[in-house]
Amino acid sequence: MKTLAAKWGLWGGYLAVLLLLPQVFDSILAISIFNQMAIAIVFALSYNMLLGQGGMLSFGHAVYFGLGGFLAVHVLRLMEFEAMYFSIALIPLIGGLTGLLAGIFVGSFSTRKAGTVFAMISLGIGELVAASSLIFTGFFGGEAGVSGDRTFGPPLFGMDFFSDTDVYYLAVFWVFVSTLFMYLFTRTPAGRMANAVRDNPERAEFIGYSARWVRFISFCAAGTFAGVAGGLFALNYEFVTDENLNLVTSGRVLLMAYIGGLGFFIGPIIGAIILTLMNFLLSNYTELFLLYLGILFVLTVLFLPRGFAGFIMMHQAAWLRGRLHGLALPYLLTGLPALLFILSAVCLLELSHASEPVLHFLGLSLARDSALSWAGLVLGAGLGAFLTARSTPGLRRAWEAANAPETRGGRERAS
Amino acid sequence: MSILSLRGLRKNFGATEIIRGVDLGIETGEKHAIIGPNGAGKSTLFHLISGKYAPSAGAIEFKGKSLANLPPHHINRLGIARSFQVTNIFPRLSVFENIRCALLWPSGYHYSFWRLLDREAGLNRETEQVLEKIGLAGRAKIPAGEIAYSEQRALELGMAIAGGAELILLDEPVAGMSHSEADHAVDLIRRVTEGKTLIMVEHDMNIVFELADRISVLVYGEVIASGAPAEIRANTQVQEAYLGEALSDA
Amino acid sequence: MPEVLVFATLNGLVTGLLLFMLASGLTVIFSMMGVLNFAHASFYMLGAYFAYSISLYFGYWTGLILAPLIVGVLGALVERYGLRRVHQHGHVAELVFTFGLAFLIEEAVQFFWGQDTKNYQTPDLLDFPLFTLFGQEFSAYRGFMLTISIGIFIGLYQVLTRSRVGLIIQAAISHPHMVANLGHNVPLIFTAVFGVGTALAGLAGVIAGPVLTTFPGMALVLGSIVFVIVVIGGLGSLPGALIASLLIGLLQSYAIAANVGMPELLELLGLEFPRSHPLDDLWTLNLAQIAPVLPFLLLVLVLIFRPTGLMGKREQ
Repeated sequence: MKTLAAKWGLWGGYLAVLLLLPQVFDSILAISIFNQMAIAIVFALSYNMLLGQGGMLSFGHAVYFGLGGFLAVHVLRLMEFEAMYFSIALIPLIGGLTGLLAGIFVGSFSTRKAGTVFAMISLGIGELVAASSLIFTGFFGGEAGVSGDRTFGPPLFGMDFFSDTDVYYLAVFWVFVSTLFMYLFTRTPAGRMANAVRDNPERAEFIGYSARWVRFISFCAAGTFAGVAGGLFALNYEFVTDENLNLVTSGRVLLMAYIGGLGFFIGPIIGAIILTLMNFLLSNYTELFLLYLGILFVLTVLFLPRGFAGFIMMHQAAWLRGRLHGLALPYLLTGLPALLFILSAVCLLELSHASEPVLHFLGLSLARDSALSWAGLVLGAGLGAFLTARSTPGLRRAWEAANAPETRGGRERAS
Repeated sequence: MSILSLRGLRKNFGATEIIRGVDLGIETGEKHAIIGPNGAGKSTLFHLISGKYAPSAGAIEFKGKSLANLPPHHINRLGIARSFQVTNIFPRLSVFENIRCALLWPSGYHYSFWRLLDREAGLNRETEQVLEKIGLAGRAKIPAGEIAYSEQRALELGMAIAGGAELILLDEPVAGMSHSEADHAVDLIRRVTEGKTLIMVEHDMNIVFELADRISVLVYGEVIASGAPAEIRANTQVQEAYLGEALSDA
Repeated sequence: MPEVLVFATLNGLVTGLLLFMLASGLTVIFSMMGVLNFAHASFYMLGAYFAYSISLYFGYWTGLILAPLIVGVLGALVERYGLRRVHQHGHVAELVFTFGLAFLIEEAVQFFWGQDTKNYQTPDLLDFPLFTLFGQEFSAYRGFMLTISIGIFIGLYQVLTRSRVGLIIQAAISHPHMVANLGHNVPLIFTAVFGVGTALAGLAGVIAGPVLTTFPGMALVLGSIVFVIVVIGGLGSLPGALIASLLIGLLQSYAIAANVGMPELLELLGLEFPRSHPLDDLWTLNLAQIAPVLPFLLLVLVLIFRPTGLMGKREQ
């Protein structure tokens, strides 16, 4: 029963953190970051249902997010013009239903195969919908998009949704419920078979399951939750444009899920938090944010194929054996020079891109025309790279030592 | 009455005919082995019965119902389960999950997304019983891709028998095993297929003669002989075509 | 009307053959390695940018030679140190890697060259009308593009059908698992094919840059289209890629040239629909508007009804 208590504790803690966040950080900026995080978490988790759980690589997941958002914002407009009476709290449900319907339609023909064929169909549908959205300006509002107003609904528990904080508490409800349902889905027959079909669709057929149906169910569920996220987006920004359903948004959700870690339920949550934070913290300081993001993404795919969550979970074995502390010093010895390298390299990039003669960055004042700043940065980067390279063998040894099987009766592994 | 009957079964890939008119009846409860030289079409025959390939001509009937053009999952639901020559499991799922997945459809869970597996005590008990039977209870939590080869073969077998199918097809169940592992596997197969109809493809003659009530010899896509082990051993045609060579090898 | 048809056909051919230069590399890379290289069009963009920078100092013709070589080397490096590393994690990881690479290259181009459109000019030597037909000019540069594309096509065809390497590549296309057993240095062939494929894409960028404008979004504009071609033509079929390239090139060119749409169609049918109706956009649609959508519609339809494409034999 200990595990059961741990589970309840985990979910209770999740809810508590969600609810307490705006008490701790109560600035308008913080709330707006939290709202964006909430939307990103639901969207990234829904993407993981496809790729992480079901093995379907989609380049068009924004379609369900965007369509959900558009429908939601149109409902807001109908409420505004009193053509419809509806509760603001249920707006994400409109998004979810839209996502579900779109998922049923597209899934009916796209889930026959996984792999490249699925990826290509998703890309085609994504491009098709994005291009159509610019043609059918009546519904999609063209390049300007469609805007609504969330304050015309009946108040809910005294909240009139004038402030972002009200929206946040509504979002918390939807994020928590969505996370819970998506988690529970992985524990159901349909969810478990999604993993099985991901691993080996042929074998799934020979134990009685149609791989296509299994994929279809996951696909519809993923569409639904993407739509919920789209509905939340419409509520938060009161504004939806074609960009919310095009390839850029589809790519961004892939990025979040992948950087966070596909194989773990919590991975996309981590990815959504990291990327939203990075977006806010860095995009104010640098124009090169997207370049750094691209580098981070490619490096993650190359060196951390299981994402940040995978990186954390890698330490489980060492932790269980109580040897984690042995890694602290080697990590420090490699990490600090690596940090020096990264910061110097970033400064170099920024300096070469600077529009002002003197660049104020990371507490440094760097003159664009001074050879000294350039030399210092190159030296810093070189030293960092050199020390990092020197210390990695030590880190590797420490890693192997921490993960070495126990001397008595180590388990044999399959060759 | 035959549980499975093949009549005039043919399969060609382009111009190459792999199965060239097979007629075969399998009786309920029988342990039937299909032997033959490499390339005789044994695995193809299995793929035809289990629905991986569609026959080019002829009929396959299971308990009087035609299987022609049914997809594999439909055939499985009728009560035919199979194992594969090359280990075919869900590598990233745990050993426990592999068996539980194999139990899902026959236990009536189908595509439900409103029932939580961990709460289904009956299903989990049944999974543990299967694991006990195939000797993998101690490996339940390990990802199936990480256990030893002979253990994966046992898991493969477990997935085939888990759902309680009436007809089990085993494609070279002891391929790649050492002698002692193979003996152990024969024992296991005998135990877990008790009371069921079994068709297997196998190269190892010792195992064939040990397990089978009846043997069919497939050569170049045709059944050249079918009968009790003693008859097959005595059949001169079989000896010429195949068995003599295989026996002298052994 | 005839002049519209002639010019639409010529322009369609130019676009189609240009697309084929990208599609051929992508197809061969896909056939041999099973990777749909999302970043393929990014190498096309790099080709244009490198050639632009080189042309500033050494003129157009040096760029024409050097830029594809640089791009090819870059491509080979990406294969050797990127793709090969990711390969062990499976196809999804490979596809995601090339997707990330496309993203990164676009940002890198903006970093080095800025966000504005580059004034990459056709060389003076080719800056004259080749011929004038019905009062419309066909520029010599377009003729040059056509010549280069056809030359590349013939060259590629010769290499693939006559040379030893070509035969190995062909074998790899039809039987990807067999080649490893032939004893050839497969990884090296992979790297080389990737390098040549990306170099071809770079060359396409060099010659297309002055006409289709050199800007950071140029990869995105063409990237998806090239994917569409490779899929429609049949994954792993070079003749299919050629047919699909020409088909898409001509289709788009005609759709833009033909000034017809729903209003004309409705008039023909004698139907009339109320203006300022919610579905107003549908009644006023014309062919030029939906031209960009057509390839994707075709892509989805082909994938649903004939996943092997027009000429492909293999299903992925």
